[in-house]
Order: sequence, then structure tokens, then C-alpha cells
Amino acid sequence: MTVQITKPVPVPGTEASVPGPAPSRLRALLPGPSAGANGAAMYRRWWLPWLWTAPAIVCAVVFGVFPFLNTVLLSFTNAKPLGGAASFVGLDNYTRMLDDSDFWLATRNSILYAVIVVPLMVLLPLMLAVLVEKNLPGIGFFRSAFYTPVLASSVVVGLSWQWLLADDGLVNTWLEKAHLIRSAIPFLSDSWLILLSAMGLTLWKGLGWYMVFYLAALGNVPKELHEAAQMDGAGAVRRFWHITIPGVRQAMMLVGTLTGIGSLRVFTEIYMLGSSTGGPGGADRTLPFYIRDVGLDPITGNAGYGSAVSVALFLLTLGLTLLAQRLTKEDES
Amino acid sequence: MRAKRLTGSLACLVVLTLTAAGCGLSGGGSGDGDASAGGCKVDQGNVGTGKLSGEVKGKITFQTTNLKKDFGTFFNSVIADFEKAHPGTEVKWIDDPGDNTFTTRTVADAQACTLADVINVNAPTATALTKAGYLLDVGTKDPDAAKPFVPAFWKTAVFKDAGGKAIHTALPWYTGGVILTYNKDLLKKAGVDPAKPPTTLFGLFADFEKVAKAGDGKFYATMANPIWRIPSDFDQMGIKTLSDDGKSAVFADDPRTTQWVAWMAKLYKAGAMPKDSLSSSNDPSTLYSQGKVAYGSTNPSFVRFVKQNSPSIYDRTAVGQQPYDALGRASAGAPQYISVAATSKNAPTALSFAEFLTNAENQTAWCKDPAVVIFPTTTESLNDPFFQKVTGTDPFSQARKLVADQLKTASTNQTSLSPAVQNAMVAQVQLAMQGKKSPAQAVKDAQEKANELLKQAG
Repeated sequence: MTVQITKPVPVPGTEASVPGPAPSRLRALLPGPSAGANGAAMYRRWWLPWLWTAPAIVCAVVFGVFPFLNTVLLSFTNAKPLGGAASFVGLDNYTRMLDDSDFWLATRNSILYAVIVVPLMVLLPLMLAVLVEKNLPGIGFFRSAFYTPVLASSVVVGLSWQWLLADDGLVNTWLEKAHLIRSAIPFLSDSWLILLSAMGLTLWKGLGWYMVFYLAALGNVPKELHEAAQMDGAGAVRRFWHITIPGVRQAMMLVGTLTGIGSLRVFTEIYMLGSSTGGPGGADRTLPFYIRDVGLDPITGNAGYGSAVSVALFLLTLGLTLLAQRLTKEDES
Repeated sequence: MRAKRLTGSLACLVVLTLTAAGCGLSGGGSGDGDASAGGCKVDQGNVGTGKLSGEVKGKITFQTTNLKKDFGTFFNSVIADFEKAHPGTEVKWIDDPGDNTFTTRTVADAQACTLADVINVNAPTATALTKAGYLLDVGTKDPDAAKPFVPAFWKTAVFKDAGGKAIHTALPWYTGGVILTYNKDLLKKAGVDPAKPPTTLFGLFADFEKVAKAGDGKFYATMANPIWRIPSDFDQMGIKTLSDDGKSAVFADDPRTTQWVAWMAKLYKAGAMPKDSLSSSNDPSTLYSQGKVAYGSTNPSFVRFVKQNSPSIYDRTAVGQQPYDALGRASAGAPQYISVAATSKNAPTALSFAEFLTNAENQTAWCKDPAVVIFPTTTESLNDPFFQKVTGTDPFSQARKLVADQLKTASTNQTSLSPAVQNAMVAQVQLAMQGKKSPAQAVKDAQEKANELLKQAG
């Protein structure tokens, strides 16, 4: 028996039969020697990826790298917010920072903010997402309701919370009527309570946003695992700890990192509840608030010192992020 | 290979750093002029001594603060009149939202050499821009510029340049006026005679104390946040806030400052103010309209607000003169200003338009607009029967009459503090009001904090 080998016939609709393939047209437009028979050599030119990414690189340099480097440079000067001559002052701004009690107060508040808000912001939206994940009749209403604060402007939310937390506001009135307190809790005049209230505001406004993150992550947790565990007699809590949490670990890491960075940058919540001084005596000022006070005031600001505090804030953020990553890796290993 | 990559990366970093240094610290600027204002190159005629000369012609930009929505017809008409009077000119009107980032954004515009040619500014913005040299010295560039204005208002338009020299970089535009507004019923309950407003600030504080006793937590005298009183109370009392050159704080040297803080602390403790208003940004408008605060805001516009929003409280409202105290007569307050950018490429046209906008005719027309409750700053405008012959006896008419009467002979002792210095002072007074510091210590610390900020400003 003989086997006849024939030349393959192109099947209509396959790549070989498509007239004028796109790579050929592209090749004609590009400079340089013609590509090899299969055209792949063209894609191996070292500069081509850089060409495609050049716009993004330019944007990143202009709007990201340049301002950052400029801030670092300014931190070694006595520059004014309005420009003009600035002279090099070496490490003066950094040594001043070490002796500045207001700076340390702001740093304490920022760290406290992150330490309290981040764990809650990682867990509470997850629990909320688990509650609204199931497809029950009317569950869409609750999902929308939890998401509504995300859509409201910070100013509107701040004003609403002022109204809620005032001495004769809804919270105090309700507590008094329930005979749980005798006199109003000073949510808006005690420096600790202003800080905690601002954290509550941040949590309330962020819950819906991160709930959506988790809803997407929960969709990727295999249902079979839950079913198998349930058949083995595992209760809801055990399934949550042993199946849900490992399943959304990556999302939790992301939420933790984003919330950590956000917590260190808090400004509006403190401004809305503690006014332009940052609470009585400026006791609730966070680092961004302090940067505004010392660096950005157009008349008495010192952009050099403000930049030094900004660099400190950057290092703090970087440090906390790296620490969180390391802890997560250790946990994984 | 790795070492090569590292060297390349470091080289890139150095290049970027040097670029950043070049762009960030040198000021920059543009233009074909042969002098500089701020960090920008400008025409020689815009700076230094000598009257500004040149043809009134060409395009200029005019920036207002949140006025386009309600007053478009008026300003378009003023612009059309100017363009008609000066053929070949074109005014492009832009309107800033006027939110709390206004000063920061305006400063950024100035640094980028893109400040509008004619710009509506408040006192802190004018102070900052003058110090950095971004505003035209109108007093020098037009020696007749002062003529139309009430002397007290022209005096408020003085700001210090980088060398500490006082110059006129703004034209006074309009003002809100300052009066005392109060709820007659609540004052009667407290045993305060509404027909006899106090003549001193501490006299007013004594009335606040009576209200606190009568109110007993059900109603209050006023709001607690001292930001509403600093530095206007100091100015009214004649307490010197800053030194003559504006480079150091001196308010702690006057014993009345400590007395003032002691009064505030006493009043707060006695319940003259809602406890939660200590660091609140709310003014008394809302609580006054609910009948919970005896004394309202201090401008006539507030009276109209109450008339429109709370008629029952309006029926119980009366107006009176703010205590004259050491000033001896009413304060001109801090009006809104119109400035000309020293960076303007068409300064003669810009100055001409600024003076046209603030002239007596246009000020009178603007202040008669039924949509506003504001007062002009030119002598001729204030003499207009619309302001001087108010016949109504209702609180709103009375408020207008009171302000119009006082502005013609107003005095001025206005201190323009930077927001940071004001916040530093307010923060210390808040601590004293909470009893966390003695008034004397709070005043001492406030002065120290203010001086730290003023020192870093140079």
C-alpha cells in the first residue's frame, strides 16, 4: 500500500487564506530592513515595545516621577509656596521635624487612623459582601443601599455626620431617650471622639466600595468547596474561616494596601468634623492636614518644610505597605 | 549586565532630578518683557516707579468669584459698555467657583504666569500675591486711583511687598457691612434691653453671659468657634495683632487679649455657646433661624436670609450697631477687591477696565441689584439716595440704613492674617475655652505659634 503525500490545501477562513495579513501591512509602514519570512523578527526589535509604551512613560514621568523628585528636592530647601528664590538648607527641615511636637502629634494620629481603620476595612466589607452575596429576592436593594455612601460627596457625608453627632443630634437624642446616657456625648468637641468619629465616617463611606471588590472575589470561590464542607458537617463560621477567607486572600491584601494608603492620606473627614483647625487645639490633625498648615499657606507657608513632611509621609506609607506585604508572605509560607 | 542596568537607571535618575531642580526651583516665566514680577518676565512699565502708560486696546481676561450664575446680565453689560467706550478692546470673562481652594489655585496661576489680567481677590489672596510681587501697584501706576473711594476703604487696600513696604495693589470693590443682629424675645428673657446695644465688646460679652443664664441650655448667645471673632474683635478693640512690618505677632503684649480669652472661656463654660460648636465651621445662621441662638451673623445679608427662610424669627429680629469699642466708630471691615496682575501683557487696558468696573456708576448699579445685599466703596455711590434715604422700619431696611450711614465715616484697623496664623491662634483659644490651658498660657502659646509661622515666612 502506498501513501500519497499531497500538498496541503488552504482551508477557506484560516489565516493562510486571508488576503493581505495585517502584519505585512504594518511592516510596510515601519522603517528598517524587511522582516524574515515569518515576520516574527520585526517584533523582536528591542525598541518597539518602548515605542508603544512611550506615551504612558512620558505621562508617568511628567505627572508622577517629576513631582515626586521635585518634592524630594524641595525638602532640602527653604522654598516658599509662591516660588521665588529658594536656597539649599541641607537637612535643616528634617532635623526641625524631629523636634516638632505638632509633627509627631500628626504622625501619631495618622498611624492610629491606619491601625484602627485598616483591619476593620478589610473585614467589615467582606462580612457585608458575604451577607449580600446570595441571590435572594430584594437583595439588590441592600447592595445599592450599602453602595450609596460611596457615591455621596465627602462634603455632604461630612455635613450629615455633623448633624448626626451634634450634641442635640440624632445619635445623642436617641441615646438619651433610651436612657443610656444622661448628657450628650461630645462627639464634635472632644479631640479623641472627633478622631474616632472621623474613622467611623471613613469606614461608613468605604464599606460599599470594598464590598463590591469582595463580591467580585467571592464569585471566584468554588461553590463545590462550600458544598463539600457543608456535607462534612462544617458550619457557616468554619466555612467562612476555612474556605471564604483563603479564597479571597488576594482581595484582602489589595483592600488592606489601598485602605492603608488611604488612611494615611485622610484630610476631608478631619476637616469636616474638626473644622479648619483640625479639632480643638489642632489635636486631630493628620499628616496631610499638617502639610497644608506648614507648607501650603500662601502667606506663611514653607514649601521646603512641607515637602520634608511629605517625604516623611511617603516613607511611612511605603514602610507600612512593605511591612504588610512581608507579614502576608510569612503568613502564606 | 546588572551593573550596566543599575548605572543606566542612576543616570536617568540624575537627569530627572536635575530637570526637576531646573523646573521646580527656578520660577520660570514667559514673555518678552525686560523686567520681572514674581517669577515671570513682564514689561518694564508694569513694575517700578512711574505712571503706567500705553494704549487701551487689545484682549484681557477678567476673573470673578462665583458671580456668573446669578449676575451674568450685569457683568456682560459692564463689559459691553467698556468695549464700546474703548474700541479695539476685548474682555474675556471667566468665573472661578470661589471654593476653599481659591487662594491655592490663584497662587498656582500666578506661579505659572497665567494670572487673569483683572482679578477679584479677597484680603488673604491679595496679601500673598502682593508679597510675591504678582500684583500691579495701582497706587503708583495711577496716582489718581484713590480719588473715588471712601478713605477708609482705600486704606484697607494696602498690602505689603516682599520688602515690607505698604503698597496699594487693589481697588476696593464692595463690602457686606457689619451690624449686630439679635432675637428681641430671647434678649428680653435674659433681661437685656434690645434698644440699648452695648458700646464695648466686653459689654456685649456681659450680655452673652446673661443669655447663658436665662437660656440654661435651651438657647444660647452665639457660636463658640473663635474663628468667627479673631482677628475682628482684636481690631475693634484696638489690640495690635501684628507688628508694623507684619513680621511678628504682638497681641500677647496687650493685657486685653488675655482678658478677651478669659471672657471666651468663661462664656463657653457658662453655656453661652453650644459646646459642639467649638471647632465647628457653622456660623450662627442655622441655629438663629431655629430660635436657638440670640445673636446672629453680623452682615445685613444675613437679615435677608432670616426674612426669607424663617419669617417667624424675622418678626422677632432687631438690628443694632456693633460695639464701637476702641475704634470709636464703625469698622470698614474687609471688602472684596479688584486687582490687576503685574504679569498682564496688556496692563494699561487691564487697569483701565479695573477702574471702570469699580467706578461710582458701576458700583452703584451693582450694589442696587436686588439679588445682593452689598454696599459700595466709593463716596459718590454711598451718597446715592438708594443707600441714604431708606424709609422702611423693618429690620432689613434698618440694617441697610445703619451700614450705609456708618460706611461713609468708617475707620479701619483691619489685620489681614494668613489662614495658618489665624488657625494657630484659634487653636490655642479653643484649648483655653475647654479649660485645658489658662487664658494667659493660651495667649502666650498662640503668640509663639504665630511667630514660628511668621518667622518661616521670612
